[in-house]
Amino acid sequence: MNNLMTREKWQTIKSRYSIYLVLIAMIIVCNLLSPNFLSARNISNISVQISVTTILAFGETILIIGGLLDLSCGSVLALAGVLSVYVFKETGSLSLAFAVGLIVGVLCNFVNGILVRRFNIPAFIATLAMMTVARGIALLFTKGQNIYQIGDYVWFGQGSIGFIPIPVLFMIIIGILTWYILGHTSFGRSLYAVGGNEEAARASGINVGRIKVGAYLINGVFVGLAGIILMARTNVGAPNSGQGYEFEALTAAIIGGTSFSGGLGTAGGTLAGAFIVGFLNNIMNLAGVDSYLQQVIKGAIIALAVGYDMWAKVNRTRKTLGAAKLPTERKEARA
Amino acid sequence: MKFMKSIRTVTAVAALCLAATTVAQAQNYKIAFIARAQADSFAAWLANGIMDEVKKYPDMTVDVMDSQADDAKENAFIENAVANKYDLIIVQPNNGEAQRPYVEQAVKDGVKVITTNARIKDIPGSSSVDADPYEQAAVNARLALEQIPQGANVVVLNGPSGNMHADMRRDAWQKEFFDKRSDVKIVGEQIAHWNKEEAMRFMEDWVQANDKIDAIVSMNDNMAAGALEVIKDDPKFENILAYGVDGTAEAMLLIQSGKMTSTALQNAYDLAAKNISVAHDLLTGKITQIDTDIDCPLVTKDNVAEFIEIHKKSGAIK
Repeated sequence: MNNLMTREKWQTIKSRYSIYLVLIAMIIVCNLLSPNFLSARNISNISVQISVTTILAFGETILIIGGLLDLSCGSVLALAGVLSVYVFKETGSLSLAFAVGLIVGVLCNFVNGILVRRFNIPAFIATLAMMTVARGIALLFTKGQNIYQIGDYVWFGQGSIGFIPIPVLFMIIIGILTWYILGHTSFGRSLYAVGGNEEAARASGINVGRIKVGAYLINGVFVGLAGIILMARTNVGAPNSGQGYEFEALTAAIIGGTSFSGGLGTAGGTLAGAFIVGFLNNIMNLAGVDSYLQQVIKGAIIALAVGYDMWAKVNRTRKTLGAAKLPTERKEARA
Repeated sequence: MKFMKSIRTVTAVAALCLAATTVAQAQNYKIAFIARAQADSFAAWLANGIMDEVKKYPDMTVDVMDSQADDAKENAFIENAVANKYDLIIVQPNNGEAQRPYVEQAVKDGVKVITTNARIKDIPGSSSVDADPYEQAAVNARLALEQIPQGANVVVLNGPSGNMHADMRRDAWQKEFFDKRSDVKIVGEQIAHWNKEEAMRFMEDWVQANDKIDAIVSMNDNMAAGALEVIKDDPKFENILAYGVDGTAEAMLLIQSGKMTSTALQNAYDLAAKNISVAHDLLTGKITQIDTDIDCPLVTKDNVAEFIEIHKKSGAIK
């Protein structure tokens, strides 16, 4: 009996926390491959390296749970970042520059939200359009040139408070915020409902449109912040930066168990997904794996990790359904 | 009689208009500059340079088209430029071999074509203006031969594979440096796609794995600047050598401050000026074909001041 309980417990842990098990397995393997892997500096490096895409991934998680997505985050990040850097160079005010970055992110995402809500444009198309527009404005504004000599602005990407680098601190804050919004607010509950079944959510009195615009506004804050961090980290206002980041962010969210069909996903899962990708990149560089081979290995391991996670979840669902059917089947057999 | 007079007047006016139009057309050559990708900062610098330079020639106008690093778009722009009767097309290829048949067709259709940064070789009838990518890296590699210490550990940052400039610059480093210095060990080599942030990620990992890195060999300045950003406050790498190519404003400032060792200037203004002057010579019949290169001077701390002026002119350095 005890054995059965322990086995069931293990099965529950395995299915519910499968992505974290993948992450732990990865840490063990990476540590065996490189003695430097678990050093404080390396872990700090990886955390800084993944901070921008993880912040974007938190935004994507919120959107995907609500049945939406954002393809424009890489371009909006660049626009928010260069405008923020420009304002800093003109005024010397860090707080003003920070505010401008966030406002630009929010404004672009407000437009995304309105396009989706008012004009019923699919999120894929609306944000694809914004991707082009935002990149175009960033290039137009800077004439395609980088903004150099950004001075104290680098603090947002290179500074630290105690031993915690600022980008990591921002990542932690945004992670906690996402966790809180998703799990502890009525907005979060409504978001899951909208993503799970929009019609049912509407029928139960949820203002679906408002939830969708709200999700984009939150994403806008995250994207603006990511733009500020990236420019500061690279010490340059680069209008062509952030290309392809939308896919890195989506990858982290999906690996972390966020379902593309909506209604499923957690902040913790996304963080684990981002770390899996970060660890993978890091260990392959430390081990000196060839660039081309890295792409092959990365793709294969991502497929394996997500495959295992899906298999564990399907297994759990089957077991739950099996247990539920059992009494009925018994009754039928008796009859 | 009155009718004949009217006919004569109308004919005379029409002839005058035609003559005026012909003169106007003769004095306004239309040029299409088909840029590789305006999101690429060097391509944008070149496009801005071309727009500035053409102002010196009142008989020429330039339209800039952005291929967005897409072969299909670039090829379509070439076809459209021919169909829209541009007098001359300047093509900055995204991928020379992909654009080759379209440039060949444009030449066959009687349009003058210049290929630039990088040139598409061996197309009879077309001209080219470029900087020699082998030489750009070679000038740095020859300097490194004297500077990089015996038994040194180096890291190498490459551009995208298949890109002519990336491949030729790497080839130059191999032939001019690595083949001659078997004592030097490459402890990390990756493709960072000309990208600063990607280079930073690689360098952050390499400094974990290696206590000693003596030099950064980068195929462009952007990646070199990214690698230097990682170690700028680390006393362990205080004396690291760093080589790039392009002569960006950031690299000039890094060389001036002693953090970067050298770069080879690929001056987009020179390239723009030469493209426009060659275009004018081709259109006015002064020449019928030319293949020419701009210089790629080595920039070190000794001569960086004069090159910083170029970037002050563009507004990149204030």
